[in-house]
Amino acid sequence: MAYGSDAWTRLALTSGAGRDAVDPDDELVRRAGAGDAAAVQALVAAKLRRVLALAERMLGDASEAEDVAQETFFRVWRHAARWRPGGARFDTWLHRVTLNLCYDRLRRRRERPVAEPPETPDPGPAPDRGLHAMDTGRRVQAALQALPPRQREAIVLCHYQELGNIEAAALMGVSVEALESLLSRGRRALKSALADLARPD
Amino acid sequence: MMTEERFLTLVGAYGADPQRWPLGERAAATAFLDANPELVAACLEAEAALDAVLAAHLTRDPSAAFRGRLVGAAPRQRAVGRTWRWLAGAGLGLGLAASCAAGVAAGFTLAPASVSRLFEPATGQSSSLADPVGDVSAS
Repeated sequence: MAYGSDAWTRLALTSGAGRDAVDPDDELVRRAGAGDAAAVQALVAAKLRRVLALAERMLGDASEAEDVAQETFFRVWRHAARWRPGGARFDTWLHRVTLNLCYDRLRRRRERPVAEPPETPDPGPAPDRGLHAMDTGRRVQAALQALPPRQREAIVLCHYQELGNIEAAALMGVSVEALESLLSRGRRALKSALADLARPD
Repeated sequence: MMTEERFLTLVGAYGADPQRWPLGERAAATAFLDANPELVAACLEAEAALDAVLAAHLTRDPSAAFRGRLVGAAPRQRAVGRTWRWLAGAGLGLGLAASCAAGVAAGFTLAPASVSRLFEPATGQSSSLADPVGDVSAS
């Protein structure tokens, strides 16, 4: 699948792909596009964490994820005034823009190999999160990064972002069967990489 | 109808939590699970263990400063629109005021002649106002 973000953006702004009901985000995006400060705040509050989590799990790097999230929102602001209800769901469009930016960075990494792998993100201090959970989180992050990108994308979209299988498949430009194949292979690889942690009781 | 093969495919792709199973197959898969608990127990346990480990991977909340940067970068078209609307309104107001002033001035200019015309005798001759250079009466 081609990842030309501009082309996809134009398509998403005008097509009904992935739309099966009224999009609850339409009104918010329309108001944000008109410069409504409250709508801008609400849109950031509703979507930023989701965009950041998607980018962080795709890239395995919190700093790069923040750059991607920033660029994603800059694009949202550029396109919000032209947003037309009845096209793609806003959340789907937002995921595609974020993924395109992630793939741009992954491609650049391949072209310019770095001496050290990206730093594993530090989840930060939290009273309800023990050392064991932090270690497990880092292990999962490393295992996710070791997956082929398309398997990682499928798992991040379905498991972490909790998209439906039809929406995720449409977003990835594959059939539901192909999506399930990517998911199954990804989960098998994760089970193998995390075998010491993912033991049934 | 849900088969054992399809059930195992579903669990292998989406994990052990029925909430993650495709909506269209969830009821059939749950019914299959209820009817065949031993048949799928091992597979479900392995997938549930992986789900539990994956849940340990958390991401950071965005900082307030980062949120603020994004909000600050949003367009403020409404403020610009208000300025333009104010300017347009002010221009319209000035135009109306100028028109009124012109009307009043014209009224003052024309008033004496108009009034005098009202008091002219109906002689059938053109008044100097109606024929200022006398062309009509000369012909």
